[in-house]
Amino acid sequence: MSEIGKTEAMPLVMPAGPGITPGIRAVAIVAVVGLVSAVVALTAGGYWLSNFTQAYCMALAVLGCALLYGQLGLVSLCQWALVGVGGWVSLRFYHYVHPPFFVTILAGGVGASVIGMIWGLPALRMRGLYLALVTLMLAGAFQSLVTVISFPVGGPGLLGQVGASGNDRIMMARPIFASSDTAYFLFVAAVTVLCIFLVEAHRRTKPGRAWALIRKNEQMAIAAGVRIVFYKAWAFALSGFLAGVAGALLAGLFGQLDASAFPTTNSIVIFIGTLLGGYDAWLGAFLGGILTRFIPALLIALNVNTNVGFMIFGAALLFALRDPLGLGGQLTILAERLYKKLRAQDVS
Amino acid sequence: MIKIDALTVQFGGIKPLDALDAQFVAPICGLIGPNGAGKTTLVNVLSGFVAPITGTILLDDTLLLALSPRRRVGVGLRRTFQQELVVDELTAIENIQAVADHVSGDRASARREVALALDFVGLGERRNTLGRQLNLFERRMVEIAKTLIGRPRVILMDEPGAGLNEIETDRLRRLLIEIPSAFDCQLVLIDHDADLIASVCIETVVLDFGKRLAMGPTRAVLDDPVVRHAYLGRE
Ligand SMILES: Nc1ncnc2c1ncn2[C@@H]1O[C@H](COP(=O)(O)OP(=O)(O)O)[C@@H](O)[C@H]1O
Ligand SMILES: [Mg+2]
Repeated sequence: MSEIGKTEAMPLVMPAGPGITPGIRAVAIVAVVGLVSAVVALTAGGYWLSNFTQAYCMALAVLGCALLYGQLGLVSLCQWALVGVGGWVSLRFYHYVHPPFFVTILAGGVGASVIGMIWGLPALRMRGLYLALVTLMLAGAFQSLVTVISFPVGGPGLLGQVGASGNDRIMMARPIFASSDTAYFLFVAAVTVLCIFLVEAHRRTKPGRAWALIRKNEQMAIAAGVRIVFYKAWAFALSGFLAGVAGALLAGLFGQLDASAFPTTNSIVIFIGTLLGGYDAWLGAFLGGILTRFIPALLIALNVNTNVGFMIFGAALLFALRDPLGLGGQLTILAERLYKKLRAQDVS
Repeated sequence: MIKIDALTVQFGGIKPLDALDAQFVAPICGLIGPNGAGKTTLVNVLSGFVAPITGTILLDDTLLLALSPRRRVGVGLRRTFQQELVVDELTAIENIQAVADHVSGDRASARREVALALDFVGLGERRNTLGRQLNLFERRMVEIAKTLIGRPRVILMDEPGAGLNEIETDRLRRLLIEIPSAFDCQLVLIDHDADLIASVCIETVVLDFGKRLAMGPTRAVLDDPVVRHAYLGRE
């Protein structure tokens, strides 16, 4: 057990933030994501704006991955494939039903959530290295599948096959209020904030407490009346939902998706982003997710071979493994200290 | 009341419980025996984590072995573990609330029960302290408070006094004595140390090598030459 245990989440040493109420946390989430997004929206255009929009989608995927790893100690290496599932479902649903954009996003989220739950079934039996390998194989199978059937082709109707000419390829439209690139980026930012709220609301209430018991000791959790299967499935469903929403947003960004956008390696990069950012703070998922896209985008902009990105992620991983708090955790501690100092000064 | 008949558990070649017959009738019962006697195994069988090869167990008139571990929680069976399992990242009150989430009737009764349990174990003022900042005694108290939620019928405590000093053990003793009347339930206390058992339990079962060595009023059992020999002979 101890060998396998090594790949499970390390216990955190993050001090509590006493005095950090849900209200303050909510303000911090809106402030940080709002500020970063405002700076990007005002300064970036074209290439960088598109990449930051993708980066936010990565952040949503990382948020789901961090949920599984941080709350239950489960390593999932198929998160990017679930983004693909979300993109697929939302595109097909859009072309078949032509629903409002919000419904399209929800469809992508729910679709990936169902698949995520099914893919999570092995986790009822295994964890650690074995689960990581099984999920990695699922991601690989997904990549093969979408390559073979040339997913998700942008043709009309439910199956959406395009003719050989490719002339009948149609794009998914963005919502009217977010048709420009900048407006769409801000829309994605708003969805990101909502998703962070969704995860925080889970972590601080009944499901979060149940996950904490399960992670500590499953027999103890059962003796406390926790339905283990239900709460594990719930975590996979929520994590898949976040990936699916990310997939739908990507589909909206590009209008269509290509099988080459869902390589298995991206699922691994998502997990590295989880470790880099730190899996116990929403800020970690946000920053970790942005990094996973920002670094490759920077390499492309500098005309460097993107495979160098894997070397950078590998090197960064060495640091991340030594510091379970990650970037997000460290910054959260700094911010909490600062906040407490400021409050102490206010009082005196 | 718990009634155990012909209970045998086998792990490979060894039988940690061997055709055990025993009854726990008094409001506070003891279960003692040297290390490795099979005490924890019995608790695991009662809570459904270990399946016996033969035997029956009655909780009042419910056939316990037919129920899943979670159903047993539903009929009022509670337990603590030999190793305390307080979650470091949750506060004292959250650790207890995490149980109330699943065993209390509704939110209002959950809140009431959690507050009552916290006060009962004396952690009212430490309610918002994180698990990792609680000392061993406080952690043991959180573990006990968790068993008091949701109308317990029988509480099994596996060595709740392990690692506590004399003053703390004394506080534990006074707390345990109060539990059956305060929560209208039965308490089965497991320990390998006879002192705590002698001062708290009305009736006691002694296990040795998975077999019942003695059963009856605590004083008489502890004075039994066979029991004294089993203990003195090995210590
Ligand atoms: N899961 C298990 N697998 C194999 N043997 C076990 C297991 N659990 C306990 N045992 C053995 O069963 C016997 C009784 O153990 P236990 O019930 O823990 O004793 P006690 O709690 O009285 O100290 C010991 O010999 C122990 O090594
Ligand atoms: Mg034991």
